[in-house]
Amino acid sequence: MSTYVALLDGGQREETIDVEPEGPGLYRVRVRGQTYRVDALRQDQGTMSLLVGTESHSAELDEIGPAVKVWVRGDAYPVELLDERRLRMRRAAGGFTVEGKQILASPMAGKVVKVLAKVGDEVRAGQGLVVVEAMKMENELKSPKSGKLVELSAVEGQAVEGGAKLAVVE
Amino acid sequence: MGEGRRIRKILVANRGEIAVRVIRTCREMGIPTVAVYSDADRGALHVRFADEAVHIGPPPARESYLSVDKIVGAAKRTGADAVHPGYGFLSEKAELARALEAARITFVGPPPASMDAMGVKTTARCNMQAAGVATVPGSPDVIPDLAAAQALAGQLGYPVMIKAAAGGGGKGMKKCDRPEDLAGSWPSARREAASAFGDDRLYLEKFLDRPRHVEIQIFADEHGGCTWLGERECSVQRRHQKIVEESPSCILDEPMRRAMGEVAVKAARAVGYRGAGTVEFLVDARRNFYFLEMNTRLQVEHPVTELCTGLDLVRLQIEVAEGGRVPAQDEIVRRGHAVEARVYAEDPARNFLPSPGRISYLRVPSGPGIRDDGGVYAGWVVPQFYDPMISKLLAWAPTREQAIARLRRALGEYTVHGITANLRYLRAVFDHPAFRSGDYDTGFCQAYAEELLVEPDPRNETVALIAAAVAAHRRDHERAAFGERAGAGRSNWQLLGRARALGGELP
Repeated sequence: MSTYVALLDGGQREETIDVEPEGPGLYRVRVRGQTYRVDALRQDQGTMSLLVGTESHSAELDEIGPAVKVWVRGDAYPVELLDERRLRMRRAAGGFTVEGKQILASPMAGKVVKVLAKVGDEVRAGQGLVVVEAMKMENELKSPKSGKLVELSAVEGQAVEGGAKLAVVE
Repeated sequence: MGEGRRIRKILVANRGEIAVRVIRTCREMGIPTVAVYSDADRGALHVRFADEAVHIGPPPARESYLSVDKIVGAAKRTGADAVHPGYGFLSEKAELARALEAARITFVGPPPASMDAMGVKTTARCNMQAAGVATVPGSPDVIPDLAAAQALAGQLGYPVMIKAAAGGGGKGMKKCDRPEDLAGSWPSARREAASAFGDDRLYLEKFLDRPRHVEIQIFADEHGGCTWLGERECSVQRRHQKIVEESPSCILDEPMRRAMGEVAVKAARAVGYRGAGTVEFLVDARRNFYFLEMNTRLQVEHPVTELCTGLDLVRLQIEVAEGGRVPAQDEIVRRGHAVEARVYAEDPARNFLPSPGRISYLRVPSGPGIRDDGGVYAGWVVPQFYDPMISKLLAWAPTREQAIARLRRALGEYTVHGITANLRYLRAVFDHPAFRSGDYDTGFCQAYAEELLVEPDPRNETVALIAAAVAAHRRDHERAAFGERAGAGRSNWQLLGRARALGGELP
């Protein structure tokens, strides 16, 4: 039997899931105090046909790094799944908090067209700091928290990659 | 049908979905096609669809898709005797039409003089006023600077709209509720307009009370024929860009529809129009309608009209360019109801932030009454340089209610992995009571912003957890099995083959 812990809502909720194989493609799954007999058939890439009792579901798994977005009946459920070893490591390392430094990263590749604050400014959570243009639209990127702008890497006119650090707020 | 003017080869001066759309009709008509592509689009779908393809430069549109010289050069090089511009890019640039005329290549579009008359929005407004068509109150001409804009906005009364004189597609368009907004949005509108159209001139219009955006599709030929093909209601907009369109509109009755159709034909005739055009109107809460602008090209949402009329508008464009005639007004029969949803690579939860990237998996819907006009495929990287629309999904049914139910069903079948798409948001639009009742205006997406960002149905969360855990269990055990055998002196090729057979990844 394998035990997994699923982190939901970005880690705000946890569920424990036990999976026990019972035969080819057949599993006994225990979650939220209930046990289900599951027939899981992997189909084309990312698609799994799931029979839970007689209920038929098509689950689409979109894996992005350690997290997976599971689509069921047109809704997406973002889940981060940890086995017990990884959960222990995660707990030892401590969680992420709103205290301390927070990085504003460019969510996509584009061009910095405007910088709206300077180092040393006191900024509010949600205040626009940098405007990045991508796909012909300007997008104002906002401060992740209230605090002081301690670092500014964004330069007007410069191209940035997705994930590039633009500013740091403490 | 044109006598002796038959088009023998068409270059499609566009990319993505619309290039594929145009090539499809050319193929049905037996006309060979030429695609053009930038460095970012070597792998794009439209290149694969065309019979020939010509590289036209680096990714920024200004140096490729917006370069008249490169488009004309590509047409000459491949011996194309006609150019279809699609929408966006050079489609409304009279400069391209003139350059083609000089090179004796047919432009599948209106005469350059009509484009001049309608292309600059402020000139178009003046022309329409002269023709006796009511326009939205606003500045008579482009506005030189912010101070002049503030003075005029004071006279018009807030809210006002900043618009790009060369505008279209929501670029450079900003709603201002107060004088502070005007000061804040002016520079940004100017930059957006410059980057989208190469023209940063702006003007102002008064923002009407609960306006609805309703447009009329018209078609004109060189023999004096001009026909209107019905309306499209396009009031569901985010960032001033349409995301859902339908026909018929819930607010038109037959007399109003005919009145708008006739005004649209009058507008087209006033500028000597030829080909496919769209006359956009704003309809206020008291059902007065005002001329907004005329788009001198095929619209993104043209398939809505195709589904209702049974016509292929691209075929009609080509036939008119060959000297053919448009159907007479009494030959146009509209049936049932059509709805379109634009599928965008964007994240509605993050203020519709574009989400370019690699599409790792794609499965598009099908079944009764569904049409998907796509421009991407699994494995394609949606580039950051262009519009993030990946497909247009449409449904037709005998009634509005059934068409909406169909499109909703099809959105549930749509699967895109690797990037974030607005599929769930679109479904929320179709579920919303205001949309369902038909009582909505261009403020719909903003008014219901929070309601439209729906949480996933908690009833299926357990199923999602089961799926994720079973998939993880399987992967862990395949890796374990793979690890044991890996020690037994197998070659890397065997290992790779084994991993592929299991459908898993290499550890």
